Amino acid sequence: MALQILIVDDSPAMRAFIRRVMRLSGIEVDVYHEAGNGLEALVQLLNHPIDAVLTDINMPVMDGETFVRKLRAGGPFQATPVVVISTDATAHRIQTMLSLGAVGYLQKPFGPEQLRSELDRVLGVGHE
Amino acid sequence: MNWTASWGWAMNDAAHPEMDGLIGALLHSCSEHVLETMFFAPILEETDPAEGDGRNRVASRLHFQGRPSGDFEVDADPAIARSLTAGFLGIDESEVTPLQEDEVLAEFCNMTCGSALSSLGQVEYFSLETPAPARESEFAPAVDGVRRAFLLDGGTLAVCLRVDFDRS
Repeated sequence: MALQILIVDDSPAMRAFIRRVMRLSGIEVDVYHEAGNGLEALVQLLNHPIDAVLTDINMPVMDGETFVRKLRAGGPFQATPVVVISTDATAHRIQTMLSLGAVGYLQKPFGPEQLRSELDRVLGVGHE
Repeated sequence: MNWTASWGWAMNDAAHPEMDGLIGALLHSCSEHVLETMFFAPILEETDPAEGDGRNRVASRLHFQGRPSGDFEVDADPAIARSLTAGFLGIDESEVTPLQEDEVLAEFCNMTCGSALSSLGQVEYFSLETPAPARESEFAPAVDGVRRAFLLDGGTLAVCLRVDFDRS
């Protein structure tokens, strides 16, 4: 099944890298949607049928922590899988994001295999 | 890997003279991992960090807050900044713009600093501020910390980390 993926990161370079790694990983993606912060991501979610969200934490306007908190606070996106992609791998940060409702956590740097493995786990192998 | 734990040190051993060696080794390991994983650029050898001083360099610097706080800096030959950007974005070097170089060096700064802090051990939490790009025809390091430089294919790249254990 081809996916609609939302990439949330304030760096256009990192969003481009994630798209590239997704392609290299062999994950079949139908459409990539992008947002530069959590607020833009909420707008994208309202306008598109997103299958999974990949989000950074440190972003202007609305950071990843606030974004996940709002997503899980209620409404139609409570079940949308969110994978955090961050440089911060401290236990404190990982625990915070998972307790807020993120279902996966990928530390930068990462390669195609790690991204594939995490998305397979979160969406179910084969993405069915 | 928790470096301070594996080496038998604790955060309050920051004044230990060998702490610089630990941070230097950590910088090498994290830089190598980031460069190979996300930039497809292996380190050929470690080199003298002062080699880039006074020369034309592309740099990026960030401050981080938390326990501990501190600063991180990366500087590179312009040719290396261009080739790393091309490798990261998967484009030809001739297509690379100065803005893309700044963004990609900022990402390297972010990832290497975050990776080093996450591996340092007993770092409770940290928050990286947005990296600030810099282009200097006569580069001088702005961060006074542990510095390591690496020879890559086509030039050098240096990283510098200062961890303010006492001010945490």
